[in-house]
Amino acid sequence: MPGNIRSVSVVSVALLCLVFCSQPTTLDAAPLCTNAEAGCHVLSLANLFDRVIQHSARMHGISNDLHSEFELYFLPSKNQIGRVSRNCHTSNILTPNGKENAQRMAREELTEVILKLLVAWRDPLWHFHQSMTHFHDFIDFSSNKSLKMSDMVHELRKGVQKVVEKMQMLGILSNSVSSLMSPEAFLASGSAEWRLMKDYELLYCFRRDSNKVQNYLKILKCRIVPEDGC
Amino acid sequence: MVCARMVKHLRLPLLLLLLALAAECNSMSKPGKPDKLGCRSPDKETFFCWWTPGSDGGLPTVHRLYYKTEGRETVRQCPDYHTAHSCFFSKTYTSIWVEYTVIVEASNALGNTSSDPLTFDLMDIVKPYAPENVTLVVSIEDNPHLTIQWHTPSNIDTKSGWVTLKNQLRIKPEKSKIWKNYTSDTQTHFTIYNIELGVVYMVEVRCAIDNSAWSEWTNTTFVKVPNFPRTDNSFWILVFSLSLIPLLAAMIILILKRKTVKKYILPPVPAPKIRGVDVQLLKSGRSEDVINAMLLNQRFPVMMPWKDQNEDYLIVSDKETSYLPLEKNKIFILPVAITLDSEVQSKETSEVDRFLKDSESSSEESSDKTKSSQLLTKCPSTNVLNDEKANQLKGVTEKIIQPFGISGYVDIPRHEHTLEADYSQVNEVNGDNILITKKENVPHTLDTQGQEGGVLDDYSRKHSDSVNASIRAKGYIDWVNQKPKNPYVTGHSEIGVCPQLVGCGYVDTFPPPAVI
Repeated sequence: MPGNIRSVSVVSVALLCLVFCSQPTTLDAAPLCTNAEAGCHVLSLANLFDRVIQHSARMHGISNDLHSEFELYFLPSKNQIGRVSRNCHTSNILTPNGKENAQRMAREELTEVILKLLVAWRDPLWHFHQSMTHFHDFIDFSSNKSLKMSDMVHELRKGVQKVVEKMQMLGILSNSVSSLMSPEAFLASGSAEWRLMKDYELLYCFRRDSNKVQNYLKILKCRIVPEDGC
Repeated sequence: MVCARMVKHLRLPLLLLLLALAAECNSMSKPGKPDKLGCRSPDKETFFCWWTPGSDGGLPTVHRLYYKTEGRETVRQCPDYHTAHSCFFSKTYTSIWVEYTVIVEASNALGNTSSDPLTFDLMDIVKPYAPENVTLVVSIEDNPHLTIQWHTPSNIDTKSGWVTLKNQLRIKPEKSKIWKNYTSDTQTHFTIYNIELGVVYMVEVRCAIDNSAWSEWTNTTFVKVPNFPRTDNSFWILVFSLSLIPLLAAMIILILKRKTVKKYILPPVPAPKIRGVDVQLLKSGRSEDVINAMLLNQRFPVMMPWKDQNEDYLIVSDKETSYLPLEKNKIFILPVAITLDSEVQSKETSEVDRFLKDSESSSEESSDKTKSSQLLTKCPSTNVLNDEKANQLKGVTEKIIQPFGISGYVDIPRHEHTLEADYSQVNEVNGDNILITKKENVPHTLDTQGQEGGVLDDYSRKHSDSVNASIRAKGYIDWVNQKPKNPYVTGHSEIGVCPQLVGCGYVDTFPPPAVI
């Protein structure tokens, strides 16, 4: 009898151990596999950077096209003197507006800026697409770019997050960035402003911001992994 | 003093008058509006603007550029007018992702004139300079290819990642009108493989920053692709021309000597020709000559004189030929040149043998003299013809033919001595019982009467194919009637069967008519 109990307790302890020991790993985000295991394709940081940079370039290209198509379709008279005070809802995000400024900025700061921008545009683009659904002709004319754009922003944000994780894992980036990852924090502040923007302005603002993201990512890459391509 | 005061008072209005006069004379006005305002950033870090001034209105005009940035309300003036009618913004004054509003103002004494404002963001006015140092390298070793290399514009910083360049080049053969474009993303070199040898190519390169506008094309660079040395045409032309000379010479020789060549290749087939006959002679037409040619020169085979069979007969009578048994009514034909040698004798027909045997048996009184004739070996044993008898026979031949009731006519040639002769005179053997004796001479005409002996001699020596061929020893008369080939040759004279036989008394000959 005591032997049985003993064995049972040992087994139960072992089981508990297994359960609890494995949990922390599951609680965290699935780490990028560092070993060359079967089915686990390891990407280098440079590769990851290249991917997100390409993604951002594509996104900027679509936003550029959509902006000119919108202008062509809805606003044929282009000459609008004193056009706009560009009231982009992301104006409160402090972004470096030059090469030196971007280079002088810390990696973490720059990464944060990128993420902030990407997070800030997810909802506005979605709603923009929703508002465009009434204009079926425009959707055909623009080949449904608004939908693509909103998807791309979402995907790019996830990609940048992956890069950040990798950098943090490699010790390049401190862990201070992670606290700002949750999108809800961004949405809560100044979320209503974008509803006031006109669509045309929205497109202009997004076009500029996507260019910012692309350039910041390039600067970051060439600072962190200065391989060929810089 | 009064004058000085007057001048003082009059100074101002005078001046105004002068000015008014001047203005009326020159039509001075405000400056014209500055036009074509443009701005460009060649490196995405600085930019410059330019404009075209309007008329100056006859007065010294000053152009000023004012700008305003987004978010700032202050209007600032151009930081650097480093060339006329342009303004340069350095890095300090350059910001991206902010909107600039630029305006140019021309002002003179009479007023100001402003241009249209220009609003732009730096990322929209990026346009790099053209690439530099375009070099072309041609290689025709294995695969002919052209390597093009260039440098990015010197003012662009590509290390920081701030600028991503992409390049484009175009190439065309000098004589073509169509350019071929190739894109090279960030590389500053490019290799083209589909080049033709011996062609001059023109190459131009341009670049762009991110997705901005393309730069200008570089100045055209020329390159000539050389030919392969071994396909040098002049060498082959030389070889070809040298090999052509002997060929031509051979052809000329061939043409000049075509007859000889023709003879060699196609030897002439000899035309039919009669030996000894001259075609030209025939053509001349003289009959005597022709006849001479045709006949004299020919060699005719030796011919025995022959007799027309219809005309010569032998009377075989019982009286003369006592040796002949009466029962025997056979007609015997003995060929002219029959050799009645013992060997030949054996070849004779059975009838003759029988006859001879009979005669042999029946005649014992034959003289031995006829042995020399050797016509019939058996005959001599019995009825040898001696000379006298032969003569007698000859004489018999002269006589008139006495019909012989029993037998028919036999035409038998006679011969005598020559049959005694040895076989050296035999020309050939024709048939079983025939010996052709040699005689080269053409037999002469026979005089049956007076030259019997000669005739006989001749007979014995000559031979007639026709006669011998037809004579059989079987007991029939069959003289082939043949024309004499030589008209000078008469036919046979009297025909005597073997004199021995005649002498043996078997037959008697008719006197043969002269046959010519």
